[in-house]
Formats: sequence, C-alpha cells, structure tokens
Amino acid sequence: MWMKNEDELVGEVLQGDHASFEQLLRPYRQGLLNMAYRMTGNREEAKEICQDALVKVYKYLHGFQRGKSFKSWAYKITINSAYDFLRKKKRFEDTVQRQKDLEWSRSPDPERQYRNKEIKDRIETCLKNLSPREKAVFLLRDGDGFSVDETSKILKCSSLSVRTHLSRARKKIRAQFERMNLGYREEVKNEM
Amino acid sequence: MKCKKVHRLLPLMAGGNLRPSQISAVKAHLERCSECQREYDAYILSLETTKEWLEKDRKDWEESEWQRVVQNAVTQKKPEVSPLAPWPFRKVWAYALMGVLAVALTLLLVVNPFDIGQGMMPDSGVASRIQAQLSGSPLEESQQQVVKMTMVLPETGQKIIWFFDKNFALEVNE
Repeated sequence: MWMKNEDELVGEVLQGDHASFEQLLRPYRQGLLNMAYRMTGNREEAKEICQDALVKVYKYLHGFQRGKSFKSWAYKITINSAYDFLRKKKRFEDTVQRQKDLEWSRSPDPERQYRNKEIKDRIETCLKNLSPREKAVFLLRDGDGFSVDETSKILKCSSLSVRTHLSRARKKIRAQFERMNLGYREEVKNEM
Repeated sequence: MKCKKVHRLLPLMAGGNLRPSQISAVKAHLERCSECQREYDAYILSLETTKEWLEKDRKDWEESEWQRVVQNAVTQKKPEVSPLAPWPFRKVWAYALMGVLAVALTLLLVVNPFDIGQGMMPDSGVASRIQAQLSGSPLEESQQQVVKMTMVLPETGQKIIWFFDKNFALEVNE
C-alpha cells in the first residue's frame, strides 16, 4: 500500500483534513506517551501532557518546516509540555514518590502483575536521581534511539551539552545499579 | 591513555557515543587494565538492562482514548498562522497596524484640521443668502441657478467645493 509522506500529510492537515492529523501522529503516539510518562511517572499526567502537546502541534503546524523531521518536532513539543507541566506542579522532587499508578499494572495474572510492578519500580528507582534535563537526554538517546545531534536539536542545546548530560545520567544509573546490587546480568534477565 | 581519563569516557563508550579514534584508544586501554574493564562491563550491564526495562514497560494508548485526544486537539484549536509568517498573515502585525491607525485618528481629532473659522471660507454671496434665511427675512429672488461653497484646508491647501441648486433650503431647528 502506498503511504503518504509526512510533508503531504502536513499539507492535508493545513487544508483542513482532520483525519490526516491522526495519520500523521499515529507512528509516534506510543513514543510520545512514554516520554511524557517517564518524565512524570504518572499515566494520567502523561495523558494530560500529550493532550497539551497535540493541541500545540495542531496549532503551530503552520510553523513546521517541511522537509525536517516531524518526529523530532513532535518530541520537542512534548518535552516542553512536560517541562511546563512539572514547573507548574512543582513536582521535580517527588515525581517518583507520589501515589502509585495502579491502573497500568492492572493485570489478570498476579505473577505478571508482580513482575510488571517490579520492572516499573526499578525503572523509577533508576531515573529518580536524574534531573529533568538528564532524564530527557537519556530517554531520547537510550530510550527512543535519537542520535546525539537529533537530541541536541530537540532540546535546543549543543552536542557537547548532550554528551555531558548523557554521561552524567549513565553514571547515576550505574551507581543506582550498584546500590540495588544488580551485579549479574543473568540474574536480572531471569527476574524479568 | 590513563585510567582517570578512561573512566571519564566509559559512560559514552558504553553507549557508542565516542569518536572512532577515542574508541580505539579506550579499547586498547581496556585490554590491559582489568579494573577499567570491570567498570566498563558494569556500565554496559546497567545501560542494557535499563534499555530492556524501558522496552518491556512501554505503554500504549487505548484506541478510543487516542482518538479522543486527537479529536480534542483538532477541535479545541483551529490551525493558526505561525508567528513567523509574513504580513498580513501575522497577528502581531495586524495589531500593530490597528494601533498606528488609532494613534493617527486620535491625533487628527486633537489637532482638528477642519477648523471652520480659518479653513472654511464660503463665497460671500452664499453667506449673505444663508444669513438672510437664518434671520427669517424673505430671500430675494435670484436668477442664479447654482451656488458654490468652497472650503480650503490651511495645512494642505486642499479645496472642498459644494454646489447647491437654487431650490436648496437650509433648515435650522433650535
């Protein structure tokens, strides 16, 4: 099946075709949600951030430069929305400590539910010591596979700054692993 | 390359974010330094495991939820012109233009260029006839079919001319 490219879809949205907007964002919907979720640690807040980001994407679609990466642009808006959200709520410190989001771990299988919760807790433990900037850099580079250059463009900073934050984030995560006594890869794999 | 420098580069080395020349130098060091090699392994372990966790714990939208969020985005805000768009599509320019027009209009009202005492100079014949009508005295029958009144703006020298036919009647309600 012939797929329309992003520039064509952007053009159609600007001409008033609402269905194309959904088509344009569908490939990134999971990534955007996960980025917002990792930044806040809460599903409802992540949805709220995504809603805000999507409104902005639609509102400022005229300003999107054709030929550039729509994915990077959408991620940039989502991360900025997440920053705004965190700033407003002043939840930098207690992002991970808040009430657990039970809905996500809801599962008919108790064993699976327990494993999911374990993984979720461990990710939160690893990310909790990272600053919002370090978290964004780490998630973009190591979570979503953006290159250092792409990450620097999304976060509007230099490549050197990205490397520095990335290095700090990995050091903190490695230190957290030591504290959690996760010394053996096989053991970790078996637990998962 | 010394251990201290290698330790600084290991986090980036673990994720493959070093230049090729640095990679070869670090690799050469790791081959002969077991302590740095252990440190490197620890970085690889933590990074790869975290990536696996992130991948395993990926969330997704319920379809209805996603459709609702997209629909909200589309209906809440109509596409607007970018702030970078050129005039006249940019709102800022439109507001600036409105501001300038408002200032100009205010200045016109304050300065009052339509000063009747100075600028409006009706013909003497017409003035006498108007005066006669206002005072209620019978107007003398004139043979003239059309009368003319001219106003000259002192600032610009622009002339405004009115033509009245002989049946023109000025009514003043007091």
